[in-house]
Amino acid sequence: MNKWWWLLLIISCWMAAGVTMFGSRQGLENSGAPLPDRADRIVSLAPNITEILFAIGLGDKITGVTLDSDYPPDAAEKPKVGTFWQPDIEAVVAARPDLVITLGFEQQKNLAERLRRIGYNSLTVNIEKVSDFFAAIEKIGIATGRQRQANELISRIRTKLRQLASIVGAGPKVRVLWVVQREPLRVAGRDTFVNEMIELAGGENAIGSTVHKYPPIGSEQVIACNANVIIESAMGREDIENQRDRALQHWSKFKFLPAVANRRVFVIPGDTVSRLGPRLYEGTETIARCLKPHLFEN
Amino acid sequence: MEQLLTPKKLTTKIGLALAVLAAVMFVCSLIGTETVSLKAVFTGPGTQAAPNPDFEIMGFRLSRIILAGLVGAALACAGVVFQVLLRNPLADPYILGISSGAGLGAIIAVISGFNWTLWGRSPIAVFAFAGALGTVWLVWFIGRLTGKFHVTGLLLAGVVVNAFFSALMMFLTSIAKSDQVYATIFWLMGNLTEGDFLVLWIGAGCVIGGIVALFYIGPQLNALSFGADDARSMGVNVARTRTIAFGIAAGITAVAVSLSGLIGFVGLVVPHGVRLVFGPDHRQLIPLSGITGAIFLVIADTVARIIVAPAQLPVGVVTAIVGGPFFLILLVKYSKKVSWLK
Amino acid sequence: MSGIIEVDNLSFGYTSETTILKGMSFNVRPGTFVAIAGPNGAGKSTLLNLMCRALTPNSGTIRIDTAAIESYDTRALAVKVAVVRQELAPIFGFSVMETVLMARTPYYGSAGFEGRADREIANDALEATDTARFAFRPLTSLSSGERQRVFIARALAQNSLIMLLDEPTNFLDLKHQVGIYDLLKTAQVEKGKTIVAVTHDINLASQYCDEILLLGADGSYHIGKTKAVLSPEKIKEVFNVDVFAGKVGQEKFFIPLGKLAKNSRKTNNETGNIRL
Repeated sequence: MNKWWWLLLIISCWMAAGVTMFGSRQGLENSGAPLPDRADRIVSLAPNITEILFAIGLGDKITGVTLDSDYPPDAAEKPKVGTFWQPDIEAVVAARPDLVITLGFEQQKNLAERLRRIGYNSLTVNIEKVSDFFAAIEKIGIATGRQRQANELISRIRTKLRQLASIVGAGPKVRVLWVVQREPLRVAGRDTFVNEMIELAGGENAIGSTVHKYPPIGSEQVIACNANVIIESAMGREDIENQRDRALQHWSKFKFLPAVANRRVFVIPGDTVSRLGPRLYEGTETIARCLKPHLFEN
Repeated sequence: MEQLLTPKKLTTKIGLALAVLAAVMFVCSLIGTETVSLKAVFTGPGTQAAPNPDFEIMGFRLSRIILAGLVGAALACAGVVFQVLLRNPLADPYILGISSGAGLGAIIAVISGFNWTLWGRSPIAVFAFAGALGTVWLVWFIGRLTGKFHVTGLLLAGVVVNAFFSALMMFLTSIAKSDQVYATIFWLMGNLTEGDFLVLWIGAGCVIGGIVALFYIGPQLNALSFGADDARSMGVNVARTRTIAFGIAAGITAVAVSLSGLIGFVGLVVPHGVRLVFGPDHRQLIPLSGITGAIFLVIADTVARIIVAPAQLPVGVVTAIVGGPFFLILLVKYSKKVSWLK
Repeated sequence: MSGIIEVDNLSFGYTSETTILKGMSFNVRPGTFVAIAGPNGAGKSTLLNLMCRALTPNSGTIRIDTAAIESYDTRALAVKVAVVRQELAPIFGFSVMETVLMARTPYYGSAGFEGRADREIANDALEATDTARFAFRPLTSLSSGERQRVFIARALAQNSLIMLLDEPTNFLDLKHQVGIYDLLKTAQVEKGKTIVAVTHDINLASQYCDEILLLGADGSYHIGKTKAVLSPEKIKEVFNVDVFAGKVGQEKFFIPLGKLAKNSRKTNNETGNIRL
């Protein structure tokens, strides 16, 4: 009837108006625009990015971090712009950044896009593997005009890792079961950076290659994997010794695992091994000390 | 019960409600994690090199508030329609599988890593929309196999499809990477993000147009409350009314869900609340539910934005926490008024 | 031979195996009050539903006001035919006035609102059914008798030529049963409506209706003036019940008496004495 045709007409005009007004925003996509090579106000949306920035001497230029950026201690004092999973775009904008650095997963990538669309400079880096990590440091160095410091950081870490490898490289690889979650049981698979750290530390993942990055496994696989060492990442702020005792208790049911028989169950404080950042060497060394303690008796 | 509805009375009520909505939106735009000075906002967007942060922030807030209004309105009106079509007071817009269909679409988008952007907008929204509509069609189709618009058949088809798609979603979640899992769960809890104006504009056109169309068939929906046979004897083309109502309600729900994930309780509680205060006449119920839904969600989202700053709650959490007890109160009051609860 | 409802060779069955109505043909003349009676399952409600197009016949035609029933769109048909059904369970709290006004839906303007004329008609209908005092109470707060009157008011407000009612006095007490039939008769006499009511009460039919259609369980039917059609033999044939028949004034009355009824031997069949 008449009123229906009117409705259809008005809606069509509305849509057309919208497309003409906003559709041509395409031109503002300046994802290929060059980044400033000096940045005085930087916002970091991930704790490992924050650590990198501090490590290349940009700590005082940071004007915003996410809630979980707690290292180095100065980072915790910085203004907060939301959480890692949900950055607060208002706070980011209020920090008036010259440069916003984000990680590459969906949520943060989206945010970077939106910021770019309204004219903010943003840099997205992927830090999933050790090689990505070094590439990210380089990118950040270029974007902020700190290539020299970035390269120094990279070579420092690499050298230390190489030294470590020469110490622990000799001898058989220690089979490691890296437990991410006890119940339901999830472990780190071969396609993770934790795995790379294990290998750099002279070990080898007790679990073979899997579809999942962090596969859930059953008790059978635990027995079959024949791990020499079980490592868990510390939870919360409770005393490490207490956590280790409880871990030993929990795993004691697998009496025939070499790791349990030899009481080689370790709990490692989280940040150095759950975050792929500049403390990569410290984390790897800690792992190495668990795997081949005899090599560190100096 | 009050006197009869007239066009003049209705226009007055709608006008007042819109005024309240505008006021609420204005107040909420001044609330947020950052303080914004209105004066600074009015100095304009600034330059490319030195953008005015107050202006930007206000822009974000307004776009999010407008989105909240649209989604709230869409869900509330869809709730009204499903309650009358299915003659079930506990119906909400997700009852016929829209939620699991959209969720499945979203998780497929996240996992497949398709980088298809529709004009630079996230693929999740597109897939969720497609999933929602596809599921509605599927449920409708299955429901018809049980006989021409048999309400029970439709509800059962919805249950079956919901269960099946939820199982698929669980499977996909179990093999996904952790950030993908988080992204999916995040989406499922319902979130409003500061969108861009093209999306808002198109969404507004769909939602407001849909609500107006539903208003047009208000008298027919009133008649349908008495059952299909009765409505037919009163001269209502039942099949056509049902198709239009169902199609529009499903459509605006799909739009809402694709923009914001699954926000619950709005579509269930708001229609009841409005009906309790203003009565069941759909010519009034539809527009007023829409406006009330908008107000409700704008406020809920504002709470979600500030209550655990600097983090944010998913707005679906707030609507559930507020909506749950509110619904209980309604139920107690309602049981004295309505026969189907005796 | 023309009536306001013309049924020609109508057959209908819910499934392909069963046929409830077989080749029925009859006319209802305008302005008459017709009762439809018969045992359970004979197809009374089915026939009513066919006459308002809630069901489609397997074969045969129905004409309403000289046009084939299929030729009407829903709105046009509602102008001709109003229906009052049995179980009307409202789930939302509409008021009495709102319910009665809904009958005016076919006449609404494009904005979807009632005009003054519609409201007057609704008020008249409320007056006629003595429900005006409930006008703004919710429908659910009324007793079933009062509710039934409201639905009749709604049918009256629809201002149709024909009113079809499906057992309108089913759950009502004596006072209300009589009240409703008075109401229907008034509508027939004063407004010239054609009333077709399915009923179990053959005595009310005898007192109020001009004609009666008796439907047998086997698909047989008899239609004609109540005086002529209703007789103890016919009732025994259709309902398989013995009755004691008597006369009050010009009309008969029938008291069904079963085997253990106090006066079971007084039925006409039993005494072999056809009294009337």
